[in-house]
Amino acid sequence: MKDLVLKSFDATRLRREIWDKVMVVVLFLCAACVLFILFIILWHLIARGLSSLNPAFFTHLPKAVGESGGGMANAIIGTFVLLLLAVGVGVPLGLGAGVYLSEYAHQRFAQTVRFMTDVLNGVPSIVFGIFSYTVCVLPMKSFSAVSGGFALGLMMIPMITRTSEQFVKMVPHQLREAGLALGLPKWRVITGIILPSAIGGIMTGIMVALARVAGETAPLLFTAFGNLHYTQSLMQPIAAIPLQIFNYAVSPYSDWHRQAWAGALVLIVIVFIINIWAQYFVYSRKRWSAGK
Amino acid sequence: MKKLLALVAALGFATSAWAGQIQLTGAGSTFIYPAITKWFEAYDSIDPNVQFNYQAIGSGAGIKEITDKIVDFGGTDGPMTEGQMAAAPGKIYHIPLVMGAEAIAYNIPGVGPGLKFTPDVLAGIWLGEITNWNDPKITAQNPGVNLPNMPIIVAHRSDGSGTTFIFTHYLSSVSPEWSSKVGFSTSVSWPVGLGGKGNQGVSGILTQNPGSIGYVELAYAIQNKIPYGVVENSSGNFVEPTVEATSEAASGVPIPADFRASIVNSSNPKAYPICGFSWMLIYKNMAGEGAKGKALVDFAKWAVTDGQKISAQLDYAPLPSDLIAKIMKTLDKISY
Repeated sequence: MKDLVLKSFDATRLRREIWDKVMVVVLFLCAACVLFILFIILWHLIARGLSSLNPAFFTHLPKAVGESGGGMANAIIGTFVLLLLAVGVGVPLGLGAGVYLSEYAHQRFAQTVRFMTDVLNGVPSIVFGIFSYTVCVLPMKSFSAVSGGFALGLMMIPMITRTSEQFVKMVPHQLREAGLALGLPKWRVITGIILPSAIGGIMTGIMVALARVAGETAPLLFTAFGNLHYTQSLMQPIAAIPLQIFNYAVSPYSDWHRQAWAGALVLIVIVFIINIWAQYFVYSRKRWSAGK
Repeated sequence: MKKLLALVAALGFATSAWAGQIQLTGAGSTFIYPAITKWFEAYDSIDPNVQFNYQAIGSGAGIKEITDKIVDFGGTDGPMTEGQMAAAPGKIYHIPLVMGAEAIAYNIPGVGPGLKFTPDVLAGIWLGEITNWNDPKITAQNPGVNLPNMPIIVAHRSDGSGTTFIFTHYLSSVSPEWSSKVGFSTSVSWPVGLGGKGNQGVSGILTQNPGSIGYVELAYAIQNKIPYGVVENSSGNFVEPTVEATSEAASGVPIPADFRASIVNSSNPKAYPICGFSWMLIYKNMAGEGAKGKALVDFAKWAVTDGQKISAQLDYAPLPSDLIAKIMKTLDKISY
């Protein structure tokens, strides 16, 4: 009798152990798949793009249609200008909203805003483009760098709002109380104590948002519009790497395909650098807060 | 913070270095894209103070953007309709820049250039009635060509396109069935086929899909080495799309004062039947646009005269000389 019980117990245990092993392997395969997809994309980009990267690619303007040579200098500069403009729009609004939600908002209002930012985060990027076309391009009567940066900046707002709210909230309550006890007004506590303590996390949020919008094409199609030259003023159309990749990839010219691969490689390297930069802020958070 | 300020300052400095140059923005036709970018390159040595930015987003979008005055000039190969003209906030001139032929290009394994197409066959293919390359209607015209038993992949434009306007206008004028079922416009509801964005996109479909056929501006077929056919014209002659055959299409056709003329299915026996004008769209009143008006008019005058030699190298047909004289008069009416 005792023997029988043990046996069935063993069988159950064995079955569970096997299931456990199988599921671990399945989950491992899922994880490996994620890595594999990333590597296969990278491998493709490097295999196709690396050979097309030459000094001309970084220093020259695009050539006339169907002619070989030239580069994407204007698009590379354009992407950085657009990102700078996007930061100008997205960071003040996103950070401001995040701080308000954490420090001031009533529970119900905060809940509503949080829900709305999530909705905003799910809005397809082309919609931001159309919105910017309507409120920037049409009244200003011109495609422009500003309208492109505006569209990208709007996309960054929900991401920055949520991350900065979270990181501001994580600042220990004792720090706030200590500041207030010393007689500091609340705004001084926020700017002098809370923000410096949370800056690492906030910067990470900004960088991640930046990395996400850096590769956006759809919001730029009818805002930044693309430019065959360098842009002379922010009120003019401006080139951007994703736009250039899009234009070149659908073209029938093999030299443009080559440059599209090279552009994709450059773009992904830029996004990588921004992401690594974001990690750097997480790890050096203590140093930042200790700094001042 | 200091770094950011320095960056902004550097940016400001860099942009001010270019100040004094005029930048003109245009959008629209992909038909003229190869020619117009080639012109920009050459024009740089004539007036280095003017820069052109042209985005080939299709004639339909070009008309929309010039109507909204978002761009300084538009490019189209399908003339604006009366309704579109009325919707614009000012009078818009259609300035013919080049004439071009549309190649019936195809990708059939083992079949070289010069396949013969009759108007009936073309209408049949795009109506979806002829679906295989060994259809007797095609083989009857092409004895000696080994046409495979292969389904036809029909390519057309997905965007609002002047190239589509010319092609559907042609089909409407040769096929009553097409005229009643589909009609002509910059975008129509296609009975069959795959859509490609721009002449670039259709060329892409053609190079990548064996068994495909599509209509593209001649320069795209030649640049991409896609074989194209000869088409039977209204006199029953099979004609190859060439610069000469396109010029012939325009000779003898009365051109109205606003230049919105169609030259498809010309009665000239030497003419290639599927060709058309590509127009630049400019507002008559460019006053208040600063130096842009003069720069644009100067460029247009150069393009229709000296520029024609450059576009001819890309197989666009030069404008007839009597037409150029009329265009110059119209350009002089633009106020700036």
